[in-house]
Amino acid sequence: MTAPLIRVAGLTRRYGDQLAVDGVSFEVRPGEIVGFLGPNGAGKSTVLRMLSTYLPPTSGELEVAGHDIMRDPLAVRRRMGCLTEHNALFDGMRVRAFLDFVGGVHGLRGDRLAERRAWVVERTELASVLKKRIAECSKGFRQRVGLAAALIHDPPVLLLDEPTHGLDPLQVVAFRDFVRELSPGRAILFSSHILAEVAEIATRLLVIQGGRICLDARVDELEQRAAQAGDDLEGLVLDSVRRAEGAA
Amino acid sequence: MTTPTHTAASTFRGIDLVRRREFRALFESAVAPVFLIAGLVLLNSLYMNEFFLAARLDMTPLFDALAPLLAVLLPAITMRLWAEERRQRTFELWMTLPLTPWQVVLGKFVSALTLAALFLAGTLPIVFMLTRLGDPDLGRIVASYLGALCLASMLLAAGLFLSSLCRDQITAYLLAVLVAALFLATGHPRVVAVLDGMAPNAGVGRGLARYFASLPHYEAFLRGRIELGALFHFLGWTAVFLTANASAVKRLRP
Repeated sequence: MTAPLIRVAGLTRRYGDQLAVDGVSFEVRPGEIVGFLGPNGAGKSTVLRMLSTYLPPTSGELEVAGHDIMRDPLAVRRRMGCLTEHNALFDGMRVRAFLDFVGGVHGLRGDRLAERRAWVVERTELASVLKKRIAECSKGFRQRVGLAAALIHDPPVLLLDEPTHGLDPLQVVAFRDFVRELSPGRAILFSSHILAEVAEIATRLLVIQGGRICLDARVDELEQRAAQAGDDLEGLVLDSVRRAEGAA
Repeated sequence: MTTPTHTAASTFRGIDLVRRREFRALFESAVAPVFLIAGLVLLNSLYMNEFFLAARLDMTPLFDALAPLLAVLLPAITMRLWAEERRQRTFELWMTLPLTPWQVVLGKFVSALTLAALFLAGTLPIVFMLTRLGDPDLGRIVASYLGALCLASMLLAAGLFLSSLCRDQITAYLLAVLVAALFLATGHPRVVAVLDGMAPNAGVGRGLARYFASLPHYEAFLRGRIELGALFHFLGWTAVFLTANASAVKRLRP
């Protein structure tokens, strides 16, 4: 079995007195696309923000590609591409300059930078807006610029927080195909609160409720379990969320 | 998949990338062009008025007017450098790029200092004019430019730090002007006399003038003297504010 690219153990985060994430543990191995599900305020974005090194955890262990996020955050950031929840970008910059800046910060230059830029521009279909300022781009294009920036350094780990937010239905389909294509050799963790979207693309589901993981299983296993119980995937997931709510 | 190593060269490259991005960003808003054009028009016209009245080949009146002008104008450059990142939520983007807080702080600082240097370079035609008209004291002029750059460096570092503490630009601007005014006013003989008069035995005015005030150090440069103490004052405060800024940025994460 290959070593996990993301390893989270006993992860806890408090905001003052409020416990936002409570002892979360999971691993993501290369080739896995993990859908991170949960209702609003369940702790999805907090976990992703800790993984991105932005938020320091209150306690627990967090490793990306073998690097501890507290001890070596820069090594973690170099091996990770992030599309954050609000996808805040430098609005005044032109798309091409922004991609070059992010690539440069990740140590790309010359032919390698040009090659990677050309690849992300082609795959995220940004050619038509390359010379535009980010502020002039539509929501869908902004989302694609964020995705292109997350991919420009060819990272082994991808964190995508609500990645299809703002995309039209055709773009959502193209995005799913693209993520599947990116998957070999990479660990992809993406959050959403739309089960159908997650089930369509993920190989595994992680469901979080009240800051705790209440379901962690492969999608094919869950579908089998649901079929045996005469239920559907949505019913199974909702059951686990309700049970977690009841236990809390 | 790429996994580059972190070296001293990549540290400087990171600072340079931030500097270039930030310098371009200064011109994306109207702040930098307005600062350059309005500031230079005001400064040069103040000086030319004095020049025709006094009819001397001396740039001291320009550098005298420059100190309060920098105290008012430089905070307009620094006020947005962190406050705007927080407002637009791009602070999170900075903190997830493979850059240390120090690299980002230095990149932002050097970009602002470059703009200040560009502003000072805008007064060079006056030096050219004076050399064409006669034989001005060039050593004194060079020392004055160095003093102005040192003062700008300290005020920019202070403004950048204060911007990291504020969520809105106006508060950052007002705080930076206040701090700049304190640095300059505490060296003024009248302020020293007033402070000393309030508590004659405490020697607050003299104490502040000696250890905190920038004006006496700045005036030493204007007299053509490059004193170690003056350099230490400006560069020391610059280092203090930049260190405080890097530390504040680390703590800004929720």
